Amino acid sequence: MLTRPALPVIVFFIALLALFAALPFVGGPYAVKFATRLMVLAIFVVSLDLLIGITGLVSFGHAAFFGVGAYAVYFVSPDYEAGNLALALAAGVALGGLAALLVGSFAMLTKGFYFIMVTLAAGQMLFALFHDTDIAKGSDGAYVNVKPNLTIGGKTLLDFDSPLQFYFFTLAALVVVYFALFGLARSPFGRALQGIRVNETRMSALGYNAYLYKLAAFVVAGAVAGFAGALFACIDGFVTPELLSWHQSGLAIMMVVLGGAGTLFGPILGAFAYISLEDLLKTASLVGEFVSSHWRLGTGAVLVVAVLLSPDGLAGFFRLFGGARAAPASAPAAATAADRPARRAKALSTKELSRNFDALAAVSDVTIRFEPNLVHGVIGPNGAGKTTFTNLLSGAIPPSSGHVDIDGRDVTGWPAHKIAHVGLGRSYQRTNIFGAFTVEENCALAAQARHGGVLRLTDGRWRAAETEKVAHALAVAGLSDRAHVVSSKMSNGEQRQLEIAMLIASGADLLLLDEPLAGMGPEETSRVVALLRDLTRDHTIVLIEHDMDAVFAAADTLTVLVQGKLLAHGTPDAIRKDEAVLEAYLGHHAEKSGARA
Amino acid sequence: MSLALIQILNGLQNGLLIFLAASGLTLVFGILGIINLSHGSFYMLGAYMALTLTSFTGDIFLALALGAPIAFVFGMAIEWLFIRHLYNRDHLQQVLLTFALILVFNEIQQSVWGSHPLSIPTPSYLSASIPITGSLSYPVYRAALMLICLGLALAMVFVIQKTRVGRMIRAAESNREMVEALGFDARILFRLVFAAGVTLAATAGILAAPVESAYPGIGDRVLIVSFVVVVIGGIGSIRGAFVGSLLIGLADAFGKVYAPQFSAIIIYALMALVLVMRPAGLFGRA
Repeated sequence: MLTRPALPVIVFFIALLALFAALPFVGGPYAVKFATRLMVLAIFVVSLDLLIGITGLVSFGHAAFFGVGAYAVYFVSPDYEAGNLALALAAGVALGGLAALLVGSFAMLTKGFYFIMVTLAAGQMLFALFHDTDIAKGSDGAYVNVKPNLTIGGKTLLDFDSPLQFYFFTLAALVVVYFALFGLARSPFGRALQGIRVNETRMSALGYNAYLYKLAAFVVAGAVAGFAGALFACIDGFVTPELLSWHQSGLAIMMVVLGGAGTLFGPILGAFAYISLEDLLKTASLVGEFVSSHWRLGTGAVLVVAVLLSPDGLAGFFRLFGGARAAPASAPAAATAADRPARRAKALSTKELSRNFDALAAVSDVTIRFEPNLVHGVIGPNGAGKTTFTNLLSGAIPPSSGHVDIDGRDVTGWPAHKIAHVGLGRSYQRTNIFGAFTVEENCALAAQARHGGVLRLTDGRWRAAETEKVAHALAVAGLSDRAHVVSSKMSNGEQRQLEIAMLIASGADLLLLDEPLAGMGPEETSRVVALLRDLTRDHTIVLIEHDMDAVFAAADTLTVLVQGKLLAHGTPDAIRKDEAVLEAYLGHHAEKSGARA
Repeated sequence: MSLALIQILNGLQNGLLIFLAASGLTLVFGILGIINLSHGSFYMLGAYMALTLTSFTGDIFLALALGAPIAFVFGMAIEWLFIRHLYNRDHLQQVLLTFALILVFNEIQQSVWGSHPLSIPTPSYLSASIPITGSLSYPVYRAALMLICLGLALAMVFVIQKTRVGRMIRAAESNREMVEALGFDARILFRLVFAAGVTLAATAGILAAPVESAYPGIGDRVLIVSFVVVVIGGIGSIRGAFVGSLLIGLADAFGKVYAPQFSAIIIYALMALVLVMRPAGLFGRA
């Protein structure tokens, strides 16, 4: 999770702010203009960090939104008089956001390599639109002849024609944008974005519509980039298609990484450092004729070295002083788990459920009903189709035919996040938590999945309910005293407990647990088995498990899958005596350990 | 009608050239897992190499015979110096490093060859034109170019499908660890594959030089178009790259004639369409 920057960073930035505030009174017009450009690009680059560092989306077309914002000023400015400043900036924001919505709505269908290439290509498409067509004077670029100002009732309140007013407005804008994006990243919405960066599959299983969250982040970042572009158009009053080109997008990514992705303040430093470096290398009087005529070689070489040495960017430099802030210790509300009331949970049933992979029938024709408030074990030898069966139930993959039904509602073919909203929560074979988050934050992420829309910015009226849910989940799972531990630092068994706690916190009452006991010692196993028994008070549990002793001890019913087919279903005692099961599956294991009881 | 015929020929020829470049890109993606933004730079260096080597040897095909091995060795060097450090890094760092390489290559190009477009002579024995109608004709060099590209494409399919190296490449594509576990040195394999990708891009640049001439920024266009082709065809799929290249070549050729302002946009629209219908590309694994 994004934390407040360390003290040295705060001190550094306050000093920097003072320096920038004093600059116009010390430096000449060139310095003011240069610093204005620095700050405008810093706004642009910080917006990109919302995508790269916070959400984990490497967008290679971000400059297109910046450029579109710059052109917006040209579009709304009259030819020979000053345009309306508020209109110009609003147009930049709107056009940047709109372009991002258009690009994002199909780019979000893709991931990884494809996402990088699709955003790159989409950016180039917008570049081609301005470069090849004559909607804005084509490749020659367009002029904003008179810079816009804000005039109300004949009185000019703010005039971008004055370099000084423009400078201070930009400085204020940079500060506001930073704090706004910082707040956004710390809000429930931003928490979800960071969860998606770490583990998108898990977030979908928790009930988040990852597509919408990512798209929302993309549009916000595009709108901020458009705002920065609108400011940029006011620096020289000249916009060219090159502002949109992928070279600019690449440079922006450079600045983010150079400064330290995912910190939001780092990219500001990155922008300052890169542009200053470029400017320095271009100045012949300082670095000599040879270097200045080959300045691109210099910047390229510096960047190659920077990537190869792989630092955490300039932001990492601050880590040399004082470490990260320790999480504040707040005692979780002690909800008593033991005397909570019993509640009917949901039933789950399938009808003729099948799934084929090409010629292989991984699951075929399974009809079964899991009654509420019981632990249902699903067992079977390797390759029996247990994992496919689980994925069909949770909506991770659609069935080839047949139906899945939760408490009388047909959920066949629903996406995972929608099924989660009905009350099904699943865990994964491999431990699947958000390692960098604390135990409490993991559960908070699960708890907020069902409240509010995508763009939920405050804890608001759900705060009390969610805090209680989290405390309740931690208490039930026996993790109350571990609430502020960073989850990656816990033992394997505790991480498994946390997974279950997250499902409880999400409000799911139908739990689908895929080998929750894998890799546990005997003591941890008996603790989790006791937890599962206790959970039946208000949950229905489907347990896919390899540990036969544990499954026979924990389950009320057992379902045996062999080669994708339902072989037997009944109480543990009945299954133990079932000839077919003994023959096909349990074999000598049943004679050795299953027979005692 | 005959204009349409000329455009079909131009589209196919252009598409086949794009295929040479794009197949190198998709090979490097599929096997090394590297996003190589500097791929277009190798095309550009190929075009400029054609300029210099043709002025020495007097013939574009001699330039190719010299240029291709140079490109291969150059590719091995680039892999050894930079790319091999990226195999276990995330996409972001791959993008950054190969982007930084573009800046460096562009500067080298500017310093050595300058910023004016430079033309490369067509060999005299291929400088004739085939008359198609009274007023339209088709240059012999372009026709030869098509045949050469087709020959190279077939040779590539043969190498990948029928030879030992090809089998190793295909194995590495589907399971990199397993190839190493079987005792092949993946480091060498990767270096060869990367060098082959560079050579393919440079070869396309050399062959295209008499038609397109050499100018700064020529690599950018090729890179972006190759990306589009790879997305359309599906990452790592040579067959997909082939189909995608011809689609893009034809769409571009017709777009330039019938909607010149929007010809660049048509390509991206085509890509968007394919993505919406098949997010993993035409021949990609979903």
